[in-house]
Amino acid sequence: MSTRQPLLEVEDLTTTFSTDNGELTAVDGVDFSVDEGETVCIVGESGSGKTVATESVTRIVKEPPGRVRGSVRFKSRDLLEMSEPELREIRGYEIAHIFQNPQEAMNHCYTVGWQIVEALQIHRDVSDEEARAKAIDLMDKVGIANASSRFDDYPHEFSGGQKQRVMIAMALVGDPDLLIADEPTTALDVTVQAQILRLLDDLQEEFDMGILFVTHDLGVVAEIADRIVVMYAGKVMERGDVLDIFERPAHPYTQQLLNCLPEIGGKKGGIPGTLPDPLDPPDGCRFAPRCEHAVDACVTGDQPEEIEVNPGQRASCVHYRPGRDDSVVRDGIPDSTADGEEVSSADD
Amino acid sequence: MATKKPEQFDRVDWSELSESRRFDLSINSIGMLVATLPLALLWLYDYQFVGEREATFQAIGLSRNLDPLDYFFVFTLFLFFFYLILPLYQNPRMTRYYWKEFRRNRPAVVSLGWLGIVFVGGLIGPLLISAPEQSILTGHQPPVFLSIDEANVANCVGEVVNGRCQGTWQHPLGTTRGGKDVFAGIVYGMTISMQIAFITTTIVAAIGITFGTVSAYAGGWVDEVMMRFVDIILSFPTFLMFLLILYIYGAGLGMFILVFSAFAWGGTARYVRSKSLSVSEEEFIKATRISGASTYRVVRKHVVPNVASSIITQLTLLIPGFLLAEAQLAFLGIGDSAVPSWGQLISAGRSDLAFAPWIVLSPGIVLFLTILAFNFIGDALLDALNPEAEAESA
Repeated sequence: MSTRQPLLEVEDLTTTFSTDNGELTAVDGVDFSVDEGETVCIVGESGSGKTVATESVTRIVKEPPGRVRGSVRFKSRDLLEMSEPELREIRGYEIAHIFQNPQEAMNHCYTVGWQIVEALQIHRDVSDEEARAKAIDLMDKVGIANASSRFDDYPHEFSGGQKQRVMIAMALVGDPDLLIADEPTTALDVTVQAQILRLLDDLQEEFDMGILFVTHDLGVVAEIADRIVVMYAGKVMERGDVLDIFERPAHPYTQQLLNCLPEIGGKKGGIPGTLPDPLDPPDGCRFAPRCEHAVDACVTGDQPEEIEVNPGQRASCVHYRPGRDDSVVRDGIPDSTADGEEVSSADD
Repeated sequence: MATKKPEQFDRVDWSELSESRRFDLSINSIGMLVATLPLALLWLYDYQFVGEREATFQAIGLSRNLDPLDYFFVFTLFLFFFYLILPLYQNPRMTRYYWKEFRRNRPAVVSLGWLGIVFVGGLIGPLLISAPEQSILTGHQPPVFLSIDEANVANCVGEVVNGRCQGTWQHPLGTTRGGKDVFAGIVYGMTISMQIAFITTTIVAAIGITFGTVSAYAGGWVDEVMMRFVDIILSFPTFLMFLLILYIYGAGLGMFILVFSAFAWGGTARYVRSKSLSVSEEEFIKATRISGASTYRVVRKHVVPNVASSIITQLTLLIPGFLLAEAQLAFLGIGDSAVPSWGQLISAGRSDLAFAPWIVLSPGIVLFLTILAFNFIGDALLDALNPEAEAESA
């Protein structure tokens, strides 16, 4: 693992949108990195800025009204300083995306094959026959049966899972180094979900891609992630290896999030309250208003700095500041951590 | 994992394959070019070497002259063929589907047949039938199977029975006061109507789609300025403008088409803009952008085709307006009386309505049916191309 080079390094990424009601900060000074061949999951509830963060990486956020600041270094080039034509060379070729909703991510006017070929020909001067052969090869690769006969079918003739496979095939046309997967399994049913995750896993090995995976589904995270970044209201709450986070979640938000996982016989809870208003975020920790361990220090100043709670695991919580008694939150770890077996078993 | 696995599928050496594909054109575009080139050359020849009063094909002994309108008409026919008919042939599955949907609307199928007749009649009719000529002696001939009081006819072509002149097959729909054959007039009028339909549609579509998509994609103040300009276009008194031009330059059919289509694209542009805006919010547009496509490509390949179904319907419903406008102007006597349009024919018969109603009725009915046909087809296209619209209205 130590030999891996960082592929994508995001620092202090801030994405704002100007709206009629003022400046909306969707992503607020977020850092994360993805190494070659590694899978990093960004986790958080809906509206916490995960998608905007990933879309800011290749700057497909609409500018204006959006505005992306910070630094995004991909293979030691800063994407945020690139011109639009330069970025186009990277999009879909070195960095590919797949989306949550394969039904909507395809143009219903064209056959599936046409769309893969298009994705291919945007970047390469290849003849139609060559492109067709490659497209069929890719469709085969992502597990579409009878690829050559399905080439001329329209998207509506594919099932949701097959469409997602096609989307993945389209993403692979350029041998990408980084695949950004934005909730690719959310719209699929559980069995198909598992197949797609396995497919991504296989392809990752074969193509040696880094994957930046966005999801709110912790079950999926357990299955695919190497490292986790927990986001809440545009800020990073906690980060660390998947095992550490599942076994010893440090931040109260992560703990609550894990608590929401439905378990057989366990209590099903939600997190009381809602996300803060992104136009007017609260002082201090973004999660403080919903946190059961909130103290006065939580609601003043800025989001607390990230503090190393375990080797490789860092949390942005005042309780871990030196000189503070962190047992309040460490002990507040959900019931399931008492029998850590159960959680880690989800990791196989 | 970083090491390549043996079963990894071949990394294609792209540089080897980089034959210049940039100049590759689709078969449609090649066809369009091949067809347009001789047309352009012919136009150039006509413009440069043939005298203004000489017929284009005089050199080879034909008396047919082509005016700029004819060239533009043929050009739009090529466009229509290579970008509408040919793609339908190239995508048989899609065509079958649309036809199945379209066929459900019976009146529209009949309408399509009728427009087919008008189209073919307008294209080849003038080649088979000689242009209606003035001949005072055979004025006011009745249509076949009908008769007219002998007193109204200078010289009856058919038999005179009981003091009434009987119609003959020589003039199946009778003649006007000046002795022009009404049937021939209607056939020649088909050409005019088709010219109006095709050319206005092309102009309106070209300006409207470009304007609408650019406005939608530019956004900001560009969008604002462009849409205010559309407001001006929409509120412009086209009729008065036409009268003014008529007064200054004299107005032929070409001028009519130019003026009316130049002020008719406002609605199309606005419609295309709103459709483009909603389509560009779709996920697949994002997916295309994210795969590195340029804005032009996104608009040309993804936005326009998705908007096309709505545009086609809207344009089909726009054509009757032009046909009616032309007929109205002709009826009012504004316009070029040398243009053998249906409106001119109707206008020619209006003073004889009392005893020779066929002069007004025949072209009137043809005009009515044609306009009805366009409307029916517009409706059926709306259902066939855009099932969502049907669901929305249901």
